[in-house]
This record gives sequence, structure tokens and C-alpha cells, in this order.
Amino acid sequence: MTAARPTQTQAVGATVSVRRDAHTSVGVVLSRSLAKFDPRKQVRNPVIFVVYAFTFFTAAVWAFPWLFPDIVGTSSFSRSFYLAVTAILLLTVWFANIAEAVAEAQAKAQADSLREVRAGLRARQILPDGRQRWIAATQLHRGDLVEVRPGETVPLDGDVAKGGAMIDESMMTGESAAVVRESGGDRTSVLGGSRILDGTIELRITSEPGTSFLDRMIQLVEATSRDKSPNEIALTLVLNALTLALLVVIVTFAYLLDFTSLGLGTVNLATLVALFVCLVPTTIGGLLSAVGISGVTRVAKSNVVCKSGKAIEAAGDLDVLILDKTGTITVGARLAVQFVAAPGVDPIDCQRTALLASLLDETPEGRSITRLATLRGVRLEKLKTTDVKAIPFSTARRMSGLVLPDGSEAMKGSVGAITDYAGTFPAELQLVADDASRRGMTPLGIARGKQVMGLVLLKDVVKPGISQRIQELRTMGIRTIMCTGDNRLTALTIARESGVDEYVAEAKPETKLKLVALEKSHGRLVAMTGDGTNDAPALARADVGFAMNSGTSAAKEAGNMVDLDSDPTKIIDVISIGKQLLITRGALTTFSITNDVAKYFAVIPAIFIGVQTLGFLNVLQLSDPSTAVLATLLFNALMIPLLIPLALIGASFRPMPAVDLLRRNLLLYGLGGLVSAFVGIKVIYVVMTMLGYS
Amino acid sequence: MLASSSSLADVLFTLGLGLLLARWLGIYMAKVFQGRPTVLDGFFDPVDRVVYGVLGVDPRRAMGWKEYAGALIVSNAVALVFVFLLLFFQGGLPWNAFHVQGMTWDLAFHTTSAFTTNTDYQHYAPESGASLLSASVGLQMLMFLSAASGLAVLVAFVRGFVRKDGRIGNYWSDLVRCLTRVLFPLAAVGALILIFAGVPETLAQSVHHTLLGGGFEVVPTGPVASWDSIEMIGTNGGGYFASNAGDPLQNPTAFTNLVEIVMMMLLTFAPPFLFGRMVKRPNETYPHLGAILIIFVVALLLLFYFEASNPFLAATGVSQNGGYFVGAESRFSISESVLFQGISVYGNVGATSMSLGSLTPGAQSVLLWGMFLQCAPGGEGTGFGTLLINALLAIFVGGLMVGRTPEYLGKKIGPAQIRWAIVTLLAHPLAIFIPLAVASVAGFSQVAAGPGSHAFTIVLYEFTSESANNGSGMGPIGDATPFFNVAGGLIMLFGRFVPMVAMLAIGGALARQPDIPVGAGTLKTSSVTFTLYLVGFLLIVTGLLFLPVLAMGPFAQGVNWP
Repeated sequence: MTAARPTQTQAVGATVSVRRDAHTSVGVVLSRSLAKFDPRKQVRNPVIFVVYAFTFFTAAVWAFPWLFPDIVGTSSFSRSFYLAVTAILLLTVWFANIAEAVAEAQAKAQADSLREVRAGLRARQILPDGRQRWIAATQLHRGDLVEVRPGETVPLDGDVAKGGAMIDESMMTGESAAVVRESGGDRTSVLGGSRILDGTIELRITSEPGTSFLDRMIQLVEATSRDKSPNEIALTLVLNALTLALLVVIVTFAYLLDFTSLGLGTVNLATLVALFVCLVPTTIGGLLSAVGISGVTRVAKSNVVCKSGKAIEAAGDLDVLILDKTGTITVGARLAVQFVAAPGVDPIDCQRTALLASLLDETPEGRSITRLATLRGVRLEKLKTTDVKAIPFSTARRMSGLVLPDGSEAMKGSVGAITDYAGTFPAELQLVADDASRRGMTPLGIARGKQVMGLVLLKDVVKPGISQRIQELRTMGIRTIMCTGDNRLTALTIARESGVDEYVAEAKPETKLKLVALEKSHGRLVAMTGDGTNDAPALARADVGFAMNSGTSAAKEAGNMVDLDSDPTKIIDVISIGKQLLITRGALTTFSITNDVAKYFAVIPAIFIGVQTLGFLNVLQLSDPSTAVLATLLFNALMIPLLIPLALIGASFRPMPAVDLLRRNLLLYGLGGLVSAFVGIKVIYVVMTMLGYS
Repeated sequence: MLASSSSLADVLFTLGLGLLLARWLGIYMAKVFQGRPTVLDGFFDPVDRVVYGVLGVDPRRAMGWKEYAGALIVSNAVALVFVFLLLFFQGGLPWNAFHVQGMTWDLAFHTTSAFTTNTDYQHYAPESGASLLSASVGLQMLMFLSAASGLAVLVAFVRGFVRKDGRIGNYWSDLVRCLTRVLFPLAAVGALILIFAGVPETLAQSVHHTLLGGGFEVVPTGPVASWDSIEMIGTNGGGYFASNAGDPLQNPTAFTNLVEIVMMMLLTFAPPFLFGRMVKRPNETYPHLGAILIIFVVALLLLFYFEASNPFLAATGVSQNGGYFVGAESRFSISESVLFQGISVYGNVGATSMSLGSLTPGAQSVLLWGMFLQCAPGGEGTGFGTLLINALLAIFVGGLMVGRTPEYLGKKIGPAQIRWAIVTLLAHPLAIFIPLAVASVAGFSQVAAGPGSHAFTIVLYEFTSESANNGSGMGPIGDATPFFNVAGGLIMLFGRFVPMVAMLAIGGALARQPDIPVGAGTLKTSSVTFTLYLVGFLLIVTGLLFLPVLAMGPFAQGVNWP
């Protein structure tokens, strides 16, 4: 195996951009929000529906007061009070509609950009008459012939029909070493998504465009009737029960006020309606569906396609994450870490030669050798590019290097190639090379002329920042298991450097499936990342199968999420979104309930305004009952639009122990809900009084 | 003022002793219900076998929740019908020295419901309304059965957290073991202590005295000590005499007052300890016990405060040294009476040693609040079951805020559990408010005497006490009417069996789930944060449902807040 590669141009990649389009324009959102006043749509959300129903009641009292002589005749509240209550109730329902419409608009915009992804990847098709044309990868069919040149991405799975090439499959297979694929023989299969490094091939497409997962995602974000997760169903039950309980409280309350000789006087019915509407959890009720929709949208926005909304919540619940080593924990490319000079060779000379041999090598390996040598203090006299000649890497020679102005050659290549080149290889150095290989490193021989100068050791290094992310996972309570085909020693080294909790070395293709099954048998929720066909059974078995877009279509079909950027560490983002989704639901529910405390203290005194002994309940000192009721209703309505951003963006989530998270969120949303309601109602009341309403 | 250092020490000693004994009892009961050997096995195992043989049941066969609930309801229904007939026909039956008439059908229904549901609300005067046969064979049998049923349901509910096969235990085994291993021994010991302390225990139904000034007195008596013992231990609360624990024959001395308080604490405070042991996580006792104690102690302090002096009386310059004694027994200090009444109402025993209608409105609101909560600590078994259901709801909402789908003790809380939890949440306000509105609109509530808010409080107290299966009553109210008898009987049955079935259903739903291992991301419930959160959750949810009626009733009467 070798490392040197010719210079490449930037690969054609699929990117997703969120386009501001017609869906999110204000006009469209507003018209959609108005369309949602349709009672058939409202009835799906009982919490908001009861508010909607009461709107008709208060409107009727305002419009036809003679129909309700008992209410209007004896009331100290004016007729306009009923109009104001009706208006605010309508506003409440409308705000809830807007929340849902905004979330849906974002989802629709996201679905459109997903459609673009399919259109994004293009291929050079060879027509039967030999002419070539660019077409979208999605328009390719089985049997079509395409040409792929260095630096380009293979559009779909296929077989090499003509030519041969060095291919970087690391994005799919996770193996960092490039593979050679050529026509004829049994090494013809090329995976869609892999990148040509060297050589041009003609490819016969063997699969239909594997976009079915994309289609499913588009369906998911656009679906008007989402499949609710068990958690959302349970929360809906709680909210509906609370609404029903409060309905019973308020309706019986209306009759209790007739209690014999209670002497409390007649209470205005609009006040009772207002009290009820204030108390039912309209905030969470109005925002619940927006929270669910936005979860899917946010996952899609991070370029992850997910096949069901439930998978996102499952991500928030994960206990175990099984990660590939190569490409996930390590960069997937081998970088120089050490020089070993041959016996009797000055280490400086060895490093200088390595530097010269890599001078024109633009591959990550070549650059890493240059960087390491420079870091060690090697300086070269000025060389003109015209004076030197590159000896590019070729599959035949398995070496690359440079012809120096004096005609001598500086070469680097696999130990075998250098041995062939130099005719001999020092035995001591061979031992070092063998030992390095055992420890998972790749030794490259370095030669100047026919003299072996030494070795440069390359290693697949841990990605920068990965250990911090693994630490984050640990704080979230998720155990990480690294799975690698490497030997124990290599695995242990990488495991220590990255900080994973456990590792499995010398993993065979079926190891992952066994691992997933084992963890699941203990009742844990397991996620795994994967991309190879080998991974497909394990991806299917895992609760969250996170497949790479660059992976085989078998893997993509098996997983329930596909990352379009093929970045396995992005599963951490998905976990965060899953957790945020749940936190947002809990936070809004808590906020709704603690808000109610203040609302009671604002409205109950307004109901019993004449009862001296109940004066102590009027902690907010609201002297005018109708203004107090309207201020509370207005506060209640305004909370919905104010919290739309929270519902769409999600409550913040920082990894920390669960109890600390509970304490933090209870203070933020529980106590916050309590205090903000007291302050908010008082402020609205004062403003209303100042504006002359009373 | 109220708390002289000696009475404070008295209160602390009593509470401490009660808690200590409850802890021992809880741990012992966990053993009993896990089927582990206990010291009493040698004596009672043969007894149990005879009972199982007579019933024709296999005590080792674990039941699903529906079968368990079916057995519970059938056994309770059979007992209910039997005692109803006994009360209805008692006029013609033996052991009836005072020639008590048979009860009317509605009164018999109310009384039977009351004793079957562990409420023991008494619309009849015990001395003149029930024969010795009715009392000791009928009602006292129900006192044991209802206490055992409540504990059995709790134990089955708790098993849901540990079992994975969808089964929650055998009802007959739970019932019989509860009777033979827990209630009979405790009641026997309790009765003996009370007898030595001067409470009568005789099959004679009255004592005749010739008064010093001439004339003749008949003092009703009977097996008071054994009745009293199960009344307190089984959190039944129905008195042998009309004035219940205020009667000198039922509660003669400060010592018996203390003994009875401790007896009431036993089975009300044992469940948290039982729970921790049964779920094999002893630390899980403490968030629940902590939440109960926080609420209960604050309630006691408020009661002490409100009964220390009546502001209206204080305004007239009348000295209230030692407290506001109207409605309180002058034989006991205010703190002793208040402690008795506090545990009796908050533990849903329902025994009374004070006249609740004479308490200050502040004290009345505190007592009502305890029955709205039903779980601080609540009646034996069902009180703690209610707390667990509230905890599940609290964990459901709070657990979301830690970013995982909520789970408790390794079991996910999903729609199956939530569906039944909200049934419990809804049952209590429904059972109180709907009859209250009916009574109010139809005018039945006029039997409650006094000015508007006070009369309202009395009727509110009646229905609340019945729905909470408490059994204490606030007078004056002429509630032995067909309306109050029938409505009350239905409320008690509803307030008892709907939450019980819900508890069993939740237990069954939990038992069908596999265990989720505890990970670092799991919300740690045995923490101060969770305990305080649980208290806050209970107070806010209860407040949301009951603040309006509290405002109309005791608050409107005028409360002298601290």
C-alpha cells in the first residue's frame, strides 16, 4: 500500500442550502395560519379547540346580548368587555395557528432543498454514439455509461468498464488507504460517492438512483399528519386531561357561585371563560406541534436525512454509541508522526531526503511529511521548480519522489518498493518497520539515490476535537464503543487518545451486529454509525442506525438516518436535537403550568372583588377587575408568539448530569414561568391603565 | 403562645417514635410481601393454608392486573353486600342490647360503602345506630378487609417496578398475608396497650350507674379497645362512639392520645420504606418520605399557628392562653389535639378528637388541603399509591427537561401509564365538584348550618372527605338524608376503586416493560432537587384544581395568615 497521490482538484460535492423561498414568506404563513381556523383542523388540538369554542360563546354574548339576559343584565361588566375577551381569544387561537404555520413553512422549505440534493450531483454520461454530456445523477439508470476523472465523485454504484484508477473509498468503507479498481477481473466494483484520485475510468452504472431515503425524508417533513411518538401522545394526554379537569373546575365553579346564601353576587361569565382559557395550557398546547415539526426540520437542516420522527427522539434517549475507528475517530488519512534514520545515517539527512521526496506531493500524507520535517528544523536551500522534476506516484512503481538538480533521486514508497529500488534494506530498519506495522502505523522507506536513508512512520491520527466530543457524550450519559479491524495494540492506542469508554479490536464484519445485539439485550438504546454493506444488518438492528451518504445503498437502506455530509460525528448533533426536542416539550409544559399560578392570583380576586376577606389573594394589586382579566388573557395570548422561537430553535442543551439539568431547567422555566407571569400581567395591566382602558 | 418547650418536645417525640416504628414496619412488610420468611410464619402459615383451601385459590400464581383488580372488586363487593344486609336487618338479629332498629337502605348503603372503602364516614350515631353484632362482625371485619385491600393494591402496584412478566402478584396471597402477618398482630398489640391504658374491652354493651344525686345512668361500652386499635392502625377512623377520639372511653388519657397518634402513623408512614425495599433501591424511600414530611410538617405548623389563637376573639380582649380551645378537648393541650387531628386528616384516617366545624377557617383550609392532596402521607396503601402516581406525572414532565423520554426506576413512562395516571388525577376533583354543584343547585346543601361560606365549607368538607376516603366530618350538617347517603356512598366507592384500578393498571403496564439499565443520563430521583420538585409539583397541581373552592369556602370566612 502506498500513500503518494497526484494533485487533485476539488471533488464535486452535494451541498444543501436553505433557500428562502415562497414557503416562508410572511404572506404565505399568514394565509396558512388563517386557513387553520377551519374547525375540522382545530379539533385535532383539543387544548386550542376549547379556546376556539369559547370564542363563539363570548362573541354571541357580545353580538346578541338579549339572548343572555341572566348574564348581561346583572353584570357589572360592559358589553365591550365581551368584545375584548372575544378578540383576545381569537388572537390566542390565531397565534397558535401561526406557530404551526411557521414550523410547516420551514419544513416545506427544507423539503425543497432536499430535492435539490438529488439534482446536485452531476455525471458525465457517455452516450452510445461516444459523445459525452453532463446530466444529473438522478437521471442515470442502470446500464448507463459514465466517465469519471481524477478529483470527481463517482455518481452511483457501478462497475469499471474501461481503465483503472486509485480510488479513495474512505468516506464509505472507512478504510483510509486508497484502493485500486480496474476493468476486468474481480476488482471492478466502484461505490457511488467514492472519489477518483488517479486515473480515469468508464463506469457502467449498476444501481438505480438510490434516493428512496431522500423521498421518505421529503414525505416526513412535508407530512401534514405526523406520526406522533409515544412521548408526544402521552404529553398530549396529560394536556388534554388538565384541560378537562380545569373545565370541570370552572363549570362547577359557575354553579357553586349560586350556593345558598353565599352572598358573593353574580359572577360575570366572561370572567369565568377568561379564567378557564388562562388556565388551560394554551402555551404548550399551541406550540406542541411546532416543536415536533421543527425537530425534523432541524435535523434536515444539519444535512441529515431521517426516515422517521421517532428516530430523532430515540437519539435523545441513547445509552450506547458504537463508532467506527477509521474516518470517525481518526481522520482516516495517514499522517507522518516519526522519522527513523537508517544505521549510520545522520537523522538530519534522513529528514531532508524525506522532505525532498515529498516536496511536490500534495496528498495529505505528503504534506504531513513536509510539515513534520519542517517542524523538526529541516531547512532546504532554495530550489527552483524548473530545476527539479517530480516522479509522480504510479500504481506500478508504488513510489514517488523528485529528481534533484544534480540528477540524483529522492524517493519514498512502501518498504517493499524501496527494497526493490535500492536493492537492499537494512535489517535493523526492517525490524522497526515490522514493529510499527504491528502497532497500526504505516512505514514508508526513504532513499536517496540507491541508499536507504531511513523510515518515515505514518499513522492514522485521532481527529482534532474528537476526545472533547466523546467527553460530551459521556456527560450526556452515553457510552462510546470503538469498533475497529485493527489489532489490539493499535486499537488501545487510539482508544486512549480519543477517550472512548470501550473498544473492540480485530473486529470482523459481523462483530458490530453482535455488539448491537448484546447491548440491546441489556435493554440499552443503541446507535451505530456505518457505511459499508457489512454494516447494514447492524444498522438495521440498532435503534438509531446512522448511515453515511457515501456508503453503500444497502447501508443507507438499513439505517434510519443518513448523513449527507458523511460525517459520522454529526450523530452527536442529532442526539442534541433529540434531547432539545424533549427538553423543549418539558420546558414549555412546565412554563405553562407555573404561569397558571400567577393567573389565578390575577383573576380570582377579580371574580371575588367584593369579598373583603379575599383581598389577600390580590397580590398583584390589580384594582380594576375587567382590566385585570383582560391583562391576564392578553399575557396568555402573547406567550405563544413570544415562545415560537424557543419552539422552533429548541431549548438550549448543554451536556451535564441529569439532576443538574433538571435543576437548571426548573429554575429557568419553572421559576421563570412563575415570575414572568406575575411581572408580565402587572406590566400589561399598568400599560392598559396608562392607555386609559378601564 | 402555643408551643411551650414541653409540648414541642412531646410533639417531636411522638413524631419521631411514629417514624421509627413505621420504618421498622415498612422493612418488615417488604419481607412479608416478597414472600420471604418472617418470625410469624410458624404460627400463621397453617392458618393461611386453611384460608387458601377454603377460598380454593393458589397463592403462588401471579396475576395480571385485570385479574388482580377483578379479585379485589369481587371480594370487596361480597363483603359489602354481606354487611349491607347485616345493617339492614340488624333489628332482628342477636347481640342487640339496645334494640337498635335496622338501618334504612340509604343509610346502610352509605355506612357499608364507608367501611368498605376505608373511609368510615359515619352518618349514624354509633352508640344508637349499630348493634354490637353489626359493629364487631360487620363493620370491624370491613375495617380489616379495607386496610388489607389498600395495602395489597399498593404492593401490587410497586411490584410493577420490579417485575418484567406483566404480572403483579397474587391478590389472595397479598390480602391474607397482610391480615395475618401485619394487621392482626399489630391490632392485637395495639388493643392490649389501650386496654392497659384504661380503654374498655368487654362484650357487655353498657354499664349502669346509680348517680350520687340519685337517678340512673346507662353508659354504652363494648369491645372499644380492639375497635380503636384497628380504627387507628388501619387508617379507618370510624369511632366506636360518636365523638370518636374525643370520647373519654375511647381516648382517656394523654398517653392513649400519644399511642393512638403513633398507631395512625404506622401504616401511613411505612409505605415509603416498604417501597424502597421492594424496588431494591432503599434510597428511593427518601424523596417520597421527604416530600411527605415537608408538606406534613408545614401543615402541622400552620395548624398550630391557626389554633393558637382566634383573631376575632383576640380582638375582643379575651385571653387565649394555651390556644383557641373552642372545639378542642380540654383534657389535651392544643398541640396534642392538633397533632392528632393533623395526622388523622393528612393520613386519611378520619378519626376526630376535635370538633372540626369550630376550628378557625385557617385550620379548616389546612385540613381540606391535606384531603385534596390525599398523599401526604394519605391512607394506608392508597395514599402512597397516589403519591407514586403524582411522582410519575412529575417525572414525566420534569424528565422531559433532562432530554430523555421519562423513566422511573428503569421503566419508561409512556402513554399506557399516563392514561391511568390522569384517570387518578381527574377522579378526585370530579368526585368532589360535580356532587357539590348538584347539591348547591338543587338546594340539598341547605342542611349545612351557618353563614354562606361556612356552610359551603361544611359541604365541601363532606364530599372531599368522602372522595379522599378520609371519613372525618365537619358539622353541623344534617347529612343523614337520602341525597347525602346515596351521593356519599357513590363518591366513596368512586374515590376508592377508580384510583385503585388505575394503580393496578399502571403496575401492570410497568410490569410488562423490560428494565432499562440506569445510566449516567438517567434522572437521579433520590436527590434533594427531585424531592423539592415533587413538593412543588404536588402543590401547584393541587392548587390549580382546588384554589377556587378554597377561596369560596374557608378563605372567604377570613384567614389570619401568618
